[in-house]
Amino acid sequence: MSEQFQPNVVAFLCNWCSYAGADLAGTSRIKYPHNLNVIRVMCSGRVNPLFVINAFQQGADGVLISGCHPGDCHYMEGNFYARRRFSLMNELLEYVGVEPGRFNMSWVSASEGAKWKDVVAGVVEKAKEAGPFDQFRRNKINW
Amino acid sequence: MVDLEKMRTIAKETVSRDDVRYLIGWRQGTYGFRVSPHFMKGPEEAEKLIFSPLCSNNLATYLTLTEKLPVPRGEQPDSRKIAVMVKGCDSRAVVQQLIEKGIERERVFVIGCPCEGVLDLKKVEEKFPGILSPVEVEWSGDKIIFTLPDGVKEVPKGEVLAKKCLSCRYPNPVMSDITLWDEVKSLGDGNYEDVKEMEEKNPQEKWSFWKDKFSSCIRCYSCRNVCPMCYCEDCVLDRLNPQWINRSANISENSAFQLARAFHLAGRCIECGECERVCPVDIPLMALNRKLAKEVREQYEFEPGLDPESKPFQSSYRPNDKEDFIL
Amino acid sequence: MDSMKLSKDKLNSFVAILAEQKQLYMPQAEGETLKYSPVNAKVQPDLVFSNTAVPAKSVVFPQVETLFRYEVEKTDIKMPAGEEERVLLGVRPCDARAMSIVDNLFSWDVDDPYYLGKREKTIVVGLACQKPGVNCFCSSVGGGPASTEGLDVLLTDLGESFLVKPLTEKGEKLCQAAGEIFEEASSDDLNSAEKLHQEAAALISRSIETGGIPEKLPGLWESGIWKEVSNACLGCGICTFLCPTCHCFDIQDEIEGFEGRRCRMWDSCMFGEYTLHTSGHNPRPTRRERTRNRINHKYNYFVQKFDVIACVGCGRCISSCPVNIDIIEILQQVKEAQ
Ligand code: SF4
Ligand code: SF4
Ligand code: SF4
Ligand code: SF4
Repeated sequence: MSEQFQPNVVAFLCNWCSYAGADLAGTSRIKYPHNLNVIRVMCSGRVNPLFVINAFQQGADGVLISGCHPGDCHYMEGNFYARRRFSLMNELLEYVGVEPGRFNMSWVSASEGAKWKDVVAGVVEKAKEAGPFDQFRRNKINW
Repeated sequence: MVDLEKMRTIAKETVSRDDVRYLIGWRQGTYGFRVSPHFMKGPEEAEKLIFSPLCSNNLATYLTLTEKLPVPRGEQPDSRKIAVMVKGCDSRAVVQQLIEKGIERERVFVIGCPCEGVLDLKKVEEKFPGILSPVEVEWSGDKIIFTLPDGVKEVPKGEVLAKKCLSCRYPNPVMSDITLWDEVKSLGDGNYEDVKEMEEKNPQEKWSFWKDKFSSCIRCYSCRNVCPMCYCEDCVLDRLNPQWINRSANISENSAFQLARAFHLAGRCIECGECERVCPVDIPLMALNRKLAKEVREQYEFEPGLDPESKPFQSSYRPNDKEDFIL
Repeated sequence: MDSMKLSKDKLNSFVAILAEQKQLYMPQAEGETLKYSPVNAKVQPDLVFSNTAVPAKSVVFPQVETLFRYEVEKTDIKMPAGEEERVLLGVRPCDARAMSIVDNLFSWDVDDPYYLGKREKTIVVGLACQKPGVNCFCSSVGGGPASTEGLDVLLTDLGESFLVKPLTEKGEKLCQAAGEIFEEASSDDLNSAEKLHQEAAALISRSIETGGIPEKLPGLWESGIWKEVSNACLGCGICTFLCPTCHCFDIQDEIEGFEGRRCRMWDSCMFGEYTLHTSGHNPRPTRRERTRNRINHKYNYFVQKFDVIACVGCGRCISSCPVNIDIIEILQQVKEAQ
């Protein structure tokens, strides 16, 4: 089944680094898996934990949040807050039984097209391994 | 040692002050082992005050729960203080509210009651079922003394104390304007054995445990309302636009609600255990709260509700916070 | 149809017969909570329980119910499939009475097809109480541990067997279908059931004389007691969600992609947003007004409209309230208030 299964990964990318990094990967014609649904946000610090929960509810098999490296944040410290917040979020999700590897976070700068490729490949691979997410997915609920 | 006389005298003096609006304490409930919050407006109501192992309510909740209605034109807002009696854990709630600027220091008068642990009502009512007439309960060393209709019974603390009290490290108020009696020794070392046990399980085992619990939630929001740290004026659970979490009670929405609730309390929960106590369907909410408290304490060396001058956990950072989770 | 006797070793087969004919609901533990859930013929029936945490109303008035489905930007709607025939086994007399009280409301100005559809297809088999809970006060509000209102069949536990008393046509049909497994009941059996009922009634320890309360409540609108009794209230949904007669609901749309449904779900007059207007104004701004409404709805408005108190005395709101707000105590204060 895992051969066939194509996971749906939702990625929240910060406007200034990771989105530009993904763009660079594109313009440099670097090939990487196509399972990503990208949502551009102004800063990784803008990502609300409810975005993550909601993504899982609405059909994501994996979630990625990506921002600037510490110290490079366009808003000086947004990614520091995000780092605290989502490290904890990750602990909580694993604690209730969401498989490790479904929820990910990365630092990718505007010049790291190659790193972006590796990050995506890794995240998609992990989501494939974990299989379809159905713990608390919404459309599994019988209306 | 609990000194009810002193408690009542101080309560009388406090409510008689011009700058105090009312005092919140505890009184005997209407039946059996129940206790109810006591809102005292005048000294004559002091006789009803009690302090016993049944006083589990965290009264700090009422500092933020009480509605603040618009002041009619031409009138001044009532700026008098609210006096509140606190146990150790409750005092941490007051401190955390101060940290978050949810309340103002000049508006509260904190009366500290060092506490030897409160009871788990479910355990007690199981042990002594069907008791209607109000029961008196006292601490006595490592025992609890129940004065029941059919005689006096002694029960070892370990059998009836609430779980949170068995591992409590702050039985003495961490902040108060006046403390009623001598400090007591803490009962526990705040270990997280129960959390570690859950962490050991594999994802399937964890989820099958939580699925069962989350699906029984009836979304009464009592856990939210009773929590002294849950006081957002505009709660995501009530909002319709955007509606992050549907009102439907089903495993998807309930899980989203439970995760959101627990996460919103990360670095803020002071482990008073009220949420778990009030839940009508016995969801072990403290297991979620304690998991987050453990990570916050072990990985970030932070504990909420101790120092009124500190910054809230989630709106602060250290440049060298750990990041082994990040790719 | 006369009463019959069901020996306890045949309870399993009785349950199996019921489950084969209709969808059977029995009290089942979900997590730590007893509530009425669908069961199959293989269930091991356990009728030894004090009342369920969640009342039996959840079977005919579910917490969430789909009214219709639709596709976004299309105009057709799809109605939910018709109701299945159900049997509820082990219902306490108070929960059954509550259903017959709530029937008034749902068949008042318009007939509510969802509620009534489920109600018509539901047969309620009750079990007389023998060990009332601490906070049971059913006999004060017109019921009792062996009250039959709202029931189709009443079971009484005689020790080795159950006395089975069909009360309505629906109940008779159900019993006829299970015919062979019953024995005839002797007059001794009838007498001992009667005696057990009386003994149970004597065990009810809480009570309130409700006479005069509905007439008195309108005059207490601005009384200070409402502030007094609601000071400690948390404004949560426990007392109303767990009340067998509370029937308020909210209607919301849920949309997933292009599919949507309109559904109704339990709502509570103890929540602030229950009466919140779009303008931001709230006519019941504090817990004082909300508590006043809860009591008035049960003991005043409902009585004016349908001539019955909308409280069956099951004691759930008392036992489950986290801050010991006690409806008997409130009613006592209402009686004493000037
Ligand atoms: S108190 Fe319990 S049942 Fe009520 S909303 Fe909280 S978790 Fe759910
Ligand atoms: S989450 Fe629970 S334990 Fe923590 S502060 Fe709130 S009520 Fe107390
Ligand atoms: S009376 Fe008790 S159960 Fe009802 S809303 Fe108030 S606190 Fe909750
Ligand atoms: S209120 Fe009456 S009918 Fe209901 S469980 Fe108690 S004794 Fe039985």
